[in-house]
Amino acid sequence: MIPFDFEYYKPTTIEEAVNLYNKLKSAGKKPIYYGGGTEFISMARMHNVYTEAVIDIKGILECNIHELKNNELTIGSAVTLTNIAESNFFPLLSLTVKRIADHTVQDKITLGGNLAGTIIYREAVLPLMVADSEIVLASINGERRVPIMDAFNKRIQLADGEMIVQVIIKDNFITLPNIHVKRTKNEKIDYPLITIAALKDNNKIKIAFSGMCDYPLRSYIMEDILNDNTVSSMDKKISNAINNIPGKVLNDISGSSEYRKFMLHTMIHEALTNFEEVN
Amino acid sequence: MDYISRIGVSTPRKESWDKVTGAAKYNGDIVTPNALHAKILTSTHAHALIKLIDISEALKSDGVQAIITGDSFPALSGPMIEDRPPIAKDKVRYFGEPVAVVVANSEEEAMRAIKLIKVVYDPLPVVNSISDSIKSGATLIHENLGEYHCPVEDVCPQPGSNIADHMKIRKGDMNKGWTESDIVIESSFSLPQSDHLAMETRNSKAEILPNGNVIIHTSSQAPFSVKEELSKIYNISEGNIIVRVPLVGGGFGGKVAVDLEFIAYLASKTVGGRLVKVANSREEDIASSPSKIGVEAKLKIGATKDGIIKALECTYYVGCGAYADTGPRMAKAIAVNCTGPYNIENVQCDAITIYTNHTFVTSYRGFGHTAFTFCIERILDQLAASLGIDPIELRMKNAIAPGNLSPTQDKLTLSNTGNLVKCILRLKEIMNWQEGSRIITDNGMIRAKGMSCFWKTSTSPTNASSGVILTLNTDGSINLNFGGVEIGPGMKTTIAQILAEKMKMDIDKIHVVMDVDTQTTPKHWKTVASMTTFMVGNAVIQAAEDLIQQLKNLGSIVLKCPPDDLDIKDQKVYLRDNPEIYAPFKDLVHGYQYPGGSSIGGQMIGRGSYIMKHLTSLDKETGKGKVGVSWTVGAQAVEIEYDPRKYTYRLLNAATVIDVGKVINPKTASGIIMGGMSMGIGLATHEEFLYNDSGILENTSLRTYKLIHFGEQPKYIVDFIETPQIDAPFGARGMGEHGILGIPAAFANAISLATGFNFNKLPISPELIWKTMTGGRYDTF
Repeated sequence: MIPFDFEYYKPTTIEEAVNLYNKLKSAGKKPIYYGGGTEFISMARMHNVYTEAVIDIKGILECNIHELKNNELTIGSAVTLTNIAESNFFPLLSLTVKRIADHTVQDKITLGGNLAGTIIYREAVLPLMVADSEIVLASINGERRVPIMDAFNKRIQLADGEMIVQVIIKDNFITLPNIHVKRTKNEKIDYPLITIAALKDNNKIKIAFSGMCDYPLRSYIMEDILNDNTVSSMDKKISNAINNIPGKVLNDISGSSEYRKFMLHTMIHEALTNFEEVN
Repeated sequence: MDYISRIGVSTPRKESWDKVTGAAKYNGDIVTPNALHAKILTSTHAHALIKLIDISEALKSDGVQAIITGDSFPALSGPMIEDRPPIAKDKVRYFGEPVAVVVANSEEEAMRAIKLIKVVYDPLPVVNSISDSIKSGATLIHENLGEYHCPVEDVCPQPGSNIADHMKIRKGDMNKGWTESDIVIESSFSLPQSDHLAMETRNSKAEILPNGNVIIHTSSQAPFSVKEELSKIYNISEGNIIVRVPLVGGGFGGKVAVDLEFIAYLASKTVGGRLVKVANSREEDIASSPSKIGVEAKLKIGATKDGIIKALECTYYVGCGAYADTGPRMAKAIAVNCTGPYNIENVQCDAITIYTNHTFVTSYRGFGHTAFTFCIERILDQLAASLGIDPIELRMKNAIAPGNLSPTQDKLTLSNTGNLVKCILRLKEIMNWQEGSRIITDNGMIRAKGMSCFWKTSTSPTNASSGVILTLNTDGSINLNFGGVEIGPGMKTTIAQILAEKMKMDIDKIHVVMDVDTQTTPKHWKTVASMTTFMVGNAVIQAAEDLIQQLKNLGSIVLKCPPDDLDIKDQKVYLRDNPEIYAPFKDLVHGYQYPGGSSIGGQMIGRGSYIMKHLTSLDKETGKGKVGVSWTVGAQAVEIEYDPRKYTYRLLNAATVIDVGKVINPKTASGIIMGGMSMGIGLATHEEFLYNDSGILENTSLRTYKLIHFGEQPKYIVDFIETPQIDAPFGARGMGEHGILGIPAAFANAISLATGFNFNKLPISPELIWKTMTGGRYDTF
């Protein structure tokens, strides 16, 4: 039971959506953009989110694009995780989204919803980070296309009223050797203890993490350490990278920070070994 | 279809089609127009004084009819100790405790108003664990513990402490036991509180009619307790209370406590008797309604070098949370069966029920037996390892046998206990024990098997009783009416099978009254303790015999012969020596009409009842006495694959062999055992309440409270041994709870064997294994 009433809008253009937001905001209705609704519904019933108007973006053409064209893969923010997994244009992204929630929920969760969600893991961003993707954002001031590494700092940095339109990935990234590893507290379908997504690009490893800190993270410092060929011991490199995590390691009821570090070590080890075997 | 025996034949449940098509209605599915809705504001503190509750803003909120607090209708409730106000008064004792109730026109309006109530708390020191609670100088959770009324004689709270009750077993001579022991092992054990997590969350409706009748519609395992407790604490005549319970979507003991029924009643009372509905969300069901006990235990066991156990000393602290409910009875169950199904001549057990500022408890599948089984079966594996004896051999050597005495010095027979050795031998075969119990596979994994035995008895009140009424339709079919609630195990069908067998008739001609209505259904104590088939089964046999006698009496007039010359089958009363001479039931059951119209006989009503026999209260100092009519024994095993690099495991196989006396409905019986095993695996691997330093329950939703899911289950193997219990219906023993009992122990034994470390705490997560084996610091990598 959602204990409040709210208006529902389903615009068909970006312009309409952002203008609606502006108007509803002025009217004091605390509008939110709405994708699959899984987070909104589950949090609203617990009084954890409140709005008087939702703007469903699933009717907007640009938000539903899902195509590989002109050396770019474009995925609209309203595309569902199931759709991404089944189309499988970008295997690392498919692997990642197939392990977010369960299949039923994947039918509902959208790419934009996962990127912008309040639940801290936002695993779909990991492949986008390592593939140096770009994200298209829109507001009443127009659209902007920015590198995801710039737009994402702990969480997606949206200006007020800004919505995610789509994500663009250069096609040379989508065929790179890749690895996705997810470990949970004790079961297959759960939030991650740690999830990693990594690509091997020109013999350099690009790697991003969820569950390590209370936000998803790709660290160039950690990558440099892992890519330092002057250090021959893999364990030493990994320990060094873990000692240089640029944030506080998560410590909660799903796992202690020490355990997460241990888990991270074995997972990076698995990833590096896997890439070596590919060579 | 004509009669064919249904005993031992898999029979679809009477309610199957309704359930699988979604037509079956549970309490919350029944929507009544004009019903008001109540929502409960719960405590945000684990222990605090309530300084002020300001309801003024909330009262102004749209749709609000009334708001009640603990001061509105003060009363104390509880089946053993009357220690719990249904709505907290003056202080709160756990996070999630009801503090105020809003009654509004809609659920939505009630939810909105809840947010507008302001409560000012004055926090008190939090008793956040059993060990905190038993420390000298511990903060008292119930300052007036000595003043509470205890409706049962044998539960004695200790004023000036947090002890709700202390139960003792003293059997044999401990000094002799230790002297005869060549080896003594001691260990400590810990099992956390956790939730029942029935699929249907608790919900109740109440209305008070102008004639004074209080109608309660509820999801309960104990409709008659609802009636009796409401009557007692609010001083309403029992006859004015009518409790109606349709199908229940899982109980697992959690719906034994009278809980939301009080709230619904008070809510209705405050709005002039209008129908009020109150229903828990999942989060409320976890945090606010009662949960499973937590246990801390210390065991000391002595044995000869060839593995004969000589002495057992144990102390169990049973954490009942903020209110006792059935906690002291579970402590009793632990004490009276503390040895497990083994013959130990010298036993000392103290089982002490302890208050904490955690969620209060009630009965949970296994009723304390899972806890002591974990402890005794873990220490037996430790003993076996120390002695260099195979764990199965150790159990065979000490297995309980006819002539042995239970911890309460009750004499065991083959009939009242069954055959444990047969169960163990069959389990050994199923689990392929001879290939070894710890095998390192080619890819470096370790396959390990752990086992556990179990026993359970009912520890019911000494006068627990059950009744059955049979009425008849004019076509000669029977309506079967009894007070057991269908909470999922299909026992309404089991009882119909027993009746069909006694009446030698087609089970499709037996119509089960599925709902329970305390005004028209004969009382059944409670749908608990795995006792429904036994108790109602005995009652229905008596009712069938009563009906058969009536049929034969009237048949003897109609067929012109002595009643003893008659028999019944296929809804006919027939002459034994010439079955072609008969009268169909339909011509008899509503009176026999002669040609010409004159009639005799009248309507037949079958009546049967059962009451527990020879049970006694226990001696306060030694625990001597008789607690149950029988035990059910069995043996279980779990096989895992352990990954020594990641400290993780996978469940491969889980098996149960149980001596059920007689299997009435094989597929349903297997299903019940498997369900129990699955819950046991949940306790072993996932389930626990996590409280932070302030006693706030952190995992109140299914996002963070984890139980075993589809796809993670092992392969389940269930097999039955049949050693009849002479005084049971067709020999059938209780078995509803038993699948859960030994699984956590068997799993912990497998993990301990695989890792070489002793795991005596539940649940066993990969992180716990890693911590135990490495010290839990990353730099130890």
